Amino acid sequence: MDQLTTYAVTSLDGVAFGLLLFTVGAGLALIFGVMDIMNLAHGTLYLVGAYVAATLSGGGLLALGVALAVGLAVGAGGGAALSFVLRPLGREGSHLDEALVTLGIAFIAADGMTAAFGAAPMQTHVPTALEGSISLGIHAYPVYRLVFIGVAALVAVLLHVAVRRSTPGKMLRATISDPDMAAASGIDTGRVRTAALAVGGALAVGAGVLGAPLLGPGPGVDNTVLVLSLIVVVVGGAGSIPGTLLAALLVGQVQTIGVVTAPALAPFALFGAMLIVLVLRGRTTAVVAGRPA
Amino acid sequence: MTTTLSRPGVLPAVPVRPLVFAGTVTVCVALPWIVGAYQISLAASALVLGTLAMSTQLLVGVTGLPAFGQAAYFGVGAYTAALLANAGVTAGPVHLVAAASTGAAAALATAPIVLRTRATTFMMVTFAVQSLTATLASKWKPVTNGDDGLHTPAVRPWPGGPALTVNGFTYLYVLAAVLLLGLLMAVLLRSRLGLVLRGNADHEQRMAALGHRVTGELTLGYVAAGAFAGAGGALLIAVNRYVSPADMGFEVAAVTLLAAAIGAGSMTGAVVGAALVVFARDYLGGSTEHGPAFLGILFLLVAYGRPLVKRLRS
Repeated sequence: MDQLTTYAVTSLDGVAFGLLLFTVGAGLALIFGVMDIMNLAHGTLYLVGAYVAATLSGGGLLALGVALAVGLAVGAGGGAALSFVLRPLGREGSHLDEALVTLGIAFIAADGMTAAFGAAPMQTHVPTALEGSISLGIHAYPVYRLVFIGVAALVAVLLHVAVRRSTPGKMLRATISDPDMAAASGIDTGRVRTAALAVGGALAVGAGVLGAPLLGPGPGVDNTVLVLSLIVVVVGGAGSIPGTLLAALLVGQVQTIGVVTAPALAPFALFGAMLIVLVLRGRTTAVVAGRPA
Repeated sequence: MTTTLSRPGVLPAVPVRPLVFAGTVTVCVALPWIVGAYQISLAASALVLGTLAMSTQLLVGVTGLPAFGQAAYFGVGAYTAALLANAGVTAGPVHLVAAASTGAAAALATAPIVLRTRATTFMMVTFAVQSLTATLASKWKPVTNGDDGLHTPAVRPWPGGPALTVNGFTYLYVLAAVLLLGLLMAVLLRSRLGLVLRGNADHEQRMAALGHRVTGELTLGYVAAGAFAGAGGALLIAVNRYVSPADMGFEVAAVTLLAAAIGAGSMTGAVVGAALVVFARDYLGGSTEHGPAFLGILFLLVAYGRPLVKRLRS
């Protein structure tokens, strides 16, 4: 019984971590969807958010709000800047050159952040109002994580509704599935792209600000987040918010329960998930970028 | 990307390339008598990275698949050689054959996953393969000793030969091995498989329409690239006498892609690219603690320089 509750708590941690990966992964999927690039600096954006939180937040809810606002602004700016730095490569830029640009940014930013914040991981303080634990049956659970689960779930619902129902969401889907046709029917695809990149960047940095108490800033965290979020995109299929959410929750469980019970098998579980999804989906040139749900 | 290779008509009448190549090889052989011990160890590291860059180039520059994960097979080869060395088998050639075999086997095992994708998704999946393999190396402690890595005895150039403990000799052994691997690669590129892989880079659908079993052929190419990467791993053990999950990590994967990009589709270019990367990271950046920033700048220079160079050529 005791072991069972331990698993239940670990599983709840997995939900929180999964939702964190969903927020980052949804941003990555969005950027992949509109630009057909793999943003190798996506983990860097998360790390920026986590450092913003570690520096600005702590104490009051207001400080967290300020950190979040700064983070979202930085993320939107960073995402939008991505379209400018990739523009010189041309519209038909090779995947290799695009990857090199985002890698270069990631390396320089990582070097700068290590120089500014040191090589040791930083502690992030939770606002006093959200400190402490709440009793769930017989086990106590940190309040902040529950709040995080709630906020991230809300983000997921809002994103889904926005992509499915709103006019900008429909313009986004049209731009992803057929840019030329969308442009011909009067959609300013350039603006849609920039907006999507800004939202994608804001999601990554926002996840960093709110997720810092779960996965704090430190050298190497950018790579961890990058790898896990792109596994989420591969398994979930870019373009489908519910798919991304399911994949994120799965990876979250593997990364918590899987790592606790069988650490050497966890990589195999993720390999297996990718294999199953890729086999079931059949061969595609670019996941399902052309088929947004 | 393959335009520089697929234009045999523009070769100059004077055999400039063979002469330059012969001159470079001569300088490389004479290097231990020219530079100091530290530089020679860097040169050996550059050759090891160069082998991995050749493996990556076979996929990126020749086959048109943006592979980010060759470091995984490199790591598989390195751990194979390290385990052999620790079991008392210290003959370098045995390491090379064994590591190439396990690298190829690992590539064969993962090919069904990665070859279901192309383009950006291919890059994502190969990245995931690299990262998950590195995670496996750090978690599978009974075999890999986790993040502490494996130390090994010195490699011998042939069974019963002298132990390679002096940097200059190690370098010459690695140079000989890399030249042999380069020769094998040259043969592979001129073989039927090499041509078919290039054809797939140019127009995969047409190759399929011509009756080629594209997936099978790409699998062969992927396995060959895995074998080269694995052999590079064996050379890593000869140079470092040590392997840890960091040797197959994100940075290795990233700089390998950079080296291949500098090579712009050519194999010798990839090796030169690897040497440039080691020079920028360890020689320029090594003394400042800002190696990653130097690398980052090199990434941007190459990314923006390549389209420029392409435009100037055409």
